[in-house]
Amino acid sequence: MRHLKTSEAAALLNVSPNTLRAWERRFGFPKPQRSPGRHRLFTHGEVTALRDALQEGLSISSAVSRAREGLTSDPGALFGALVSFDTERADRAIEAALALRSVERSVEEVLLPSLDEVQQRHGTDSAPWAFAARWAADWLRRAQRMAPAPVRDAAILIADASRDELDRDGLYIRAFELFCVRGGIRTLSLSARGVSGVGDALAAQRPDAVVIAGSYLDDDAVARWAYQVRLTAGSLPMAVYRRGGERARTRGGGTIHLPPEPSAAQIQLLELLERHAAARAGERGHGRAEARSSTRAEARQQGRGGQRKHNHDDQNGRRQRQPQARAAAAG
Amino acid sequence: MRAIRQARLAAVPAAPTVERAVAPAERVCFCGHCGARRDAGATAGPRVCDKCQLGLMLDAAPELAPRPGGAFVVLDRSLSVCAVSRAAERLLDVYEPSVVNCHVSELFETPDPERQHHVPVAEAIFRAARGEQEVMEVTVRPARTFGVRLRARVGLCGPRPAALLVFD
Repeated sequence: MRHLKTSEAAALLNVSPNTLRAWERRFGFPKPQRSPGRHRLFTHGEVTALRDALQEGLSISSAVSRAREGLTSDPGALFGALVSFDTERADRAIEAALALRSVERSVEEVLLPSLDEVQQRHGTDSAPWAFAARWAADWLRRAQRMAPAPVRDAAILIADASRDELDRDGLYIRAFELFCVRGGIRTLSLSARGVSGVGDALAAQRPDAVVIAGSYLDDDAVARWAYQVRLTAGSLPMAVYRRGGERARTRGGGTIHLPPEPSAAQIQLLELLERHAAARAGERGHGRAEARSSTRAEARQQGRGGQRKHNHDDQNGRRQRQPQARAAAAG
Repeated sequence: MRAIRQARLAAVPAAPTVERAVAPAERVCFCGHCGARRDAGATAGPRVCDKCQLGLMLDAAPELAPRPGGAFVVLDRSLSVCAVSRAAERLLDVYEPSVVNCHVSELFETPDPERQHHVPVAEAIFRAARGEQEVMEVTVRPARTFGVRLRARVGLCGPRPAALLVFD
C-alpha cells in the first residue's frame, strides 16, 4: 500500500499542508498513520478518493462522506483500519464487503488477506497484529452466533491445537468453523489440550468426524487427545486442518489432510461426512440382510426337523452326519 | 429603372444578423462554510476557500447569495443536507460533519403545515434545486423546537445544481 507524506498529499489535493491538517482535525479524514519518526503518512487511496469527491462536492463534509463510502468497499480499507486501531472503521469496511459479497467470500477475499498483510508487514508480535487478530476473532465468533440452526444430520468435533487467539492458524480455524456452521453442520470446538471430560463432550455431540486443527501443539499431545476420543467413541473418520505440510492421504490410515483455505476444507469435509454416512447406511443395510437370511435358514431347519428325525431313526451312522453337514453348509 | 434597382437589391445577399450577446447573469461566489466572497468566476479556480480552508466555493444569484458570515444551508434535490455554514451551525445548534447527508427534516420543518399561506419547505427546496423557481421566501421552524420561526430565502446555487437556503 502506497503512502504519502503530508506535503505530497496536500499537493495532490491542491491545498496547503496546514489545510490538510485542519481537515484531519475537523473531519477525521484523511486519517494518517504515523511513521517511526511520528510523521504523518497518508494512504494514497484515501487521498485520491477525496480528491475525486471534491470535484463534485458542495462541501468538504459531503466529499469526505462520499470518499469514505467509496473506500469502505475497497479490500485495502480493512487493512488501513486495522493498522489504525480503528474498530468502527474496520466494522464498516467488512460490512461494505458484505454488501458486495457473501459471508464466505468476504472472509476469504477481504478479512483473511487483510490479516495476512498485517502479519507480513508488522509481524505477529506487534500491536497491529494483536489488535487485528482480536478484532477478527471477535467478528468471526459473532458471525458464527448469527448463523442459522444446523440443518444437516451431521456433527463434527474440532480439536483446536492452535496457540491462542494471536495464532494466525487460530483465525483460519475460526473461519473454517464458521463455514461449517453456515453449511448446516453441528460443530463443537474444544482445545486439544484438555483430555479430561472429552467423553462427556462426545456423548453430547455424537460427532460423525473429528478434525484436528492447528499446528502449535506437538504430536504427542494431539495423539493423547485422539486416543481418548478413540477409547470413548470408537473409530471415527479423522481429518487434519492446517497442521503440518500438505501430505497425501496415508494409505490405510484414513486421516485426510484438508486444504488450507477454509471454504475448500469445508467442501472436502462435507464429502468425507457424506461418504461416512453412505458407508454406515450400507453397513446397516448389509446387517439387516444378514439377519433376514439367518432367520430364513433357521426357519428352513425347523421346517425339516421331523424328516430329519425320521431319517436319523432309520439309518444311524449316515443320518447323524447329515444334519451336521447341512448346518456347516448353512453357516 | 425601379425594377432594375429592385432586382439588384434582391441579388445582394442579406447582411448576416448579428446576435447581440446577452450579458450572463452575474453570479456571486462565496464560501460554503464562512460565506466569504470571491471575485466572479472564482469557482473555476481552486475550490477550497483560502480564508477558512473548511469550505468549497459556491455561486448564486446576487439577490440570494449570503452575506459574509451569514447563516445558510445547502441541500440537494433529494432534500439531503450538503453543507451548513458556520453561522448556521450556531443558529441551529448542529455540527456540519454530523448532519451532512441527513434529511432536511432533521434540521427544520414547515412551522404550521395546516395553514395555507406557509409554503411547504420541502417543496420549495425541491423546486429550487431543480431551478424551477426564482428566489422564494419561506418560513421554517428548527426541528423539534416549537415557537421559533425563522425567515429564509431559497433558490438555486451551483456549481452543481442545489438549493441554497439563506436565513435572514
